[in-house]
Amino acid sequence: MTALRRHRRLSAIWASEPGWKGWTSSVNHTDLGRMFLATSFFFFFVGGVLAMLVRAQLATPHSAFADAGAFSQFFTMHGTIMMFLFAIPTFEGLAIYLLPKLLGTRDLAFPRLTAYGYWCYVFGGSMLLVAMVLGIAPDGGWFMYPPLTGPLHSPGINTDFWLIGITFVEISAIAAAVELTVSILKYRAPGMSLDKMPIFAWYALVTALMILTGFPPLILGSVLLELERAFGLPFFQVELGGDSLLWQHLFWLFGHPEVYIIFLPAAGVISTIIPVMARTTLLGYGWIVASAVALAFLSFGLWVHHMFTTGIPFMGLAFFSAASTLVAVPTGVQVFAWIGTLWKGRPELHLPMLHILGFFVTFLIGGLTGVMVAVVPFDWQVHDTAFVTAHLHYVLFGGFVFPILAGIYYWLPLFSGRRRFFRLGELAFALIFLGFHGTFLAMHWVGLLGQRRRIETYDAETGWGTINLISSISSFVMAIGLAMVLVDLLIHAFVSVRAARNPWKAGSLEWASMSPPPPYNFASLPQVDTRDPLHGDPDLPNRLARGEGYLGDPATDRRETLTVSIGAARPDFMVIYPGNTRLPIVMAAVTGLFFLSILLKLYWVTPLALAGVAALAVVWVWRLGTQMDQGPQEAGRGVTLPLAGETEKSPGWWGSVFLLVANATFFGSLLFGYAFLWTVAPGWPPQEWLAPSLLEFGAGTLAAVIAMLALRFAIRRNRRHGGALPRLALALGATAVTALVFATLLVRLPPADGHAYAATLFVLGAYGLFHALLVGLMLAFVIARVRRGYASAVRVAEFHIVLLWTDYLAGITVLSLLAAHVPGVLA
Amino acid sequence: MKDVLRILLPLLVWLASFSAIYGLHGIGCAAGWPDVALAGSSLFRLALLAAWIAAIVLQVAILIALRSTRFRADEGFAYRVSVALAWVGVVAILWTLFPLATVAECRVMG
Repeated sequence: MTALRRHRRLSAIWASEPGWKGWTSSVNHTDLGRMFLATSFFFFFVGGVLAMLVRAQLATPHSAFADAGAFSQFFTMHGTIMMFLFAIPTFEGLAIYLLPKLLGTRDLAFPRLTAYGYWCYVFGGSMLLVAMVLGIAPDGGWFMYPPLTGPLHSPGINTDFWLIGITFVEISAIAAAVELTVSILKYRAPGMSLDKMPIFAWYALVTALMILTGFPPLILGSVLLELERAFGLPFFQVELGGDSLLWQHLFWLFGHPEVYIIFLPAAGVISTIIPVMARTTLLGYGWIVASAVALAFLSFGLWVHHMFTTGIPFMGLAFFSAASTLVAVPTGVQVFAWIGTLWKGRPELHLPMLHILGFFVTFLIGGLTGVMVAVVPFDWQVHDTAFVTAHLHYVLFGGFVFPILAGIYYWLPLFSGRRRFFRLGELAFALIFLGFHGTFLAMHWVGLLGQRRRIETYDAETGWGTINLISSISSFVMAIGLAMVLVDLLIHAFVSVRAARNPWKAGSLEWASMSPPPPYNFASLPQVDTRDPLHGDPDLPNRLARGEGYLGDPATDRRETLTVSIGAARPDFMVIYPGNTRLPIVMAAVTGLFFLSILLKLYWVTPLALAGVAALAVVWVWRLGTQMDQGPQEAGRGVTLPLAGETEKSPGWWGSVFLLVANATFFGSLLFGYAFLWTVAPGWPPQEWLAPSLLEFGAGTLAAVIAMLALRFAIRRNRRHGGALPRLALALGATAVTALVFATLLVRLPPADGHAYAATLFVLGAYGLFHALLVGLMLAFVIARVRRGYASAVRVAEFHIVLLWTDYLAGITVLSLLAAHVPGVLA
Repeated sequence: MKDVLRILLPLLVWLASFSAIYGLHGIGCAAGWPDVALAGSSLFRLALLAAWIAAIVLQVAILIALRSTRFRADEGFAYRVSVALAWVGVVAILWTLFPLATVAECRVMG
């Protein structure tokens, strides 16, 4: 088969539907990555316009441009959009687009999940935009502190839009994080061991793991605050045993790692581009990986440094001040590694490099002011002033926007297959750089003079007018620069000339595919021996196109790729992907219906929407698998591999592992909240305890253990060709008992709106009940699959996925019942 | 996967120790441990110092284990990164919790 015929054949297998309808049914990572990026930059535009409105208001003292209410909506939506609808989705979009190409594979682990995440992002973001257009946008600041955002002080629907819209969008982030983690660990080119992974993949892996553990505390906080607002469960009301500081802990447990979730992918872009621009290799690859991991963990130990003025004891402040200064060290290691890379190479000043230099200057200043605010007495002075606003913009714009602009210009020839014709980008960079520093240097200054953030006006006598005017004019210069980038990209799309493949002479695999890349990425998959495969083998793109790699024979109509062992990257399984489908967009719409029903208080719709999601989920997984054993498959280069569905640790198993990591973080955050309220909140102990019940505790624990054991016995019997059904039925029955125990617990609780104790146990019980019902649904599904012939002694993947969830249910059942009953016993 | 876990373990343990000792600090303040005199100091200070020493010992043990022939990573890259991060863990536990030996116990601003 010639390379051209192979290309046509593979294109027919992998292509999305033509036209706009294809957007709704595509599950291809290249399409979805582009859609993510286009949508996130649309939100960047909206957030930018809001920033201009904020600066227009602050340009002069006593400005009549906007009243306090509108101003509050401007800055709240600006922060919310930039954080949740621009920065994180831009990382997701870039990673979704690039990673399979960088890793030398054909798609991400779960293509339909990519699409589902994208549509959740679009629908959730749209909810916030609709609120803004209707003038009922969130107005409590992007971190939504109660009691300001509680039902007493913010009775309108504004805050609900934030809590529900952002939680909806966070589904997208969790989906992408699971997707990226499994893809990086399992979906690499054979031979690409951990030490040969592209550095961007390391950063993306660390970032994805951070999302899995950083977002759940915020999701929990949003759930608790919405429960307080909608049903009066008093988690944050001091008079009823709650504490508004609990929100701050949960929010900043997410919020501080969020800064690094935004910075680390950008650092991955920098680490990728600098060696190419300097015509050398990255200095200190291992040190950079270690620094990224260190930064990720240390960032989880800093959350209280956002709460230095809340009355925390000195010793606690000192812990977090020390941790905050420590985080500068791994950041510094990376910066010095980049400088060293430039030093040992021969840097060329192309446009991406200009933005990298912009990053160095800006991020360095942001980092240094970060160390300043890590020092408690200084933080007390500048807390809630424009100085802090300026600091965070130096970190986020310097640490994310400049590198992302560098990345866009670096990968533009790959995106489009064209090279730039006009030189608008250089002028745009100059305007952005000068405008940014004019805006935020001035804001540091006026903050040190005492100007508060989030206040829409100031007196002329303060003397802040000129500084604010300079800041506002500079912000418009920056906005013009950013608009010019957009114009440059639009011109590029229509008026530019064809680029040669790999114009930067880079060594990474994304340049081994055609530009723009075909939907299948690689006609055959490479065997990798070095960190820069194209430098080691310049003819690799041609050899892959000729089908000399793995899976180079598209004899079947299947979308095929292979997975590898995590460490050494030896091929282990073959994966067959599902084709184009509108299931993800439909499921995202029904998920949206669930969130809308809560927002609009149409509670009768809520269970219908949940049932709809469950039914679609069953359809989703039912379409996988076969009713016959397939046996080992020919993968090319003399290798035969089993199908992933015929293994114990399938991609779905790995996906469940990482989803459960996020889930366990959510559960752990809930237990933390319980302990926090118990020890710190005034208004404890409650007047009434849950009456301990040995029967309830014993039945719940025993049932959970029986379900675990019965499923294990079922797996054993299935391996011996039959007899699994009775044991599966026993597991299902035991899970039903667990559900009954949680339901009984919920009924026996003291009124949940009477005290934070009962409210917390209510959430704990509801969480347990939800998981019992979920595991019950999974077991019923497996029973149906066994009966229909989708399982055999070889086709065992589904058993092991459900086993993970059954074990998890057992764990949370024991812990939840202990948390519910022990206090009553002690009392 | 074991190599990835070796890379993640040292600072995961630091994070757990750091959070646990911060939690212990909160419990101690809420329970009035600073007012309980013990061996020339207070129950609060001694309990936290004991927890800190245990955390330091744990981090050092992880460092030793990741360098030992039994638990070390087979592959050179994972070995170097995991040992480097084990050292970071030791430094982090010393640096981030040293205030418990020097700073006032449960006093707050104002």
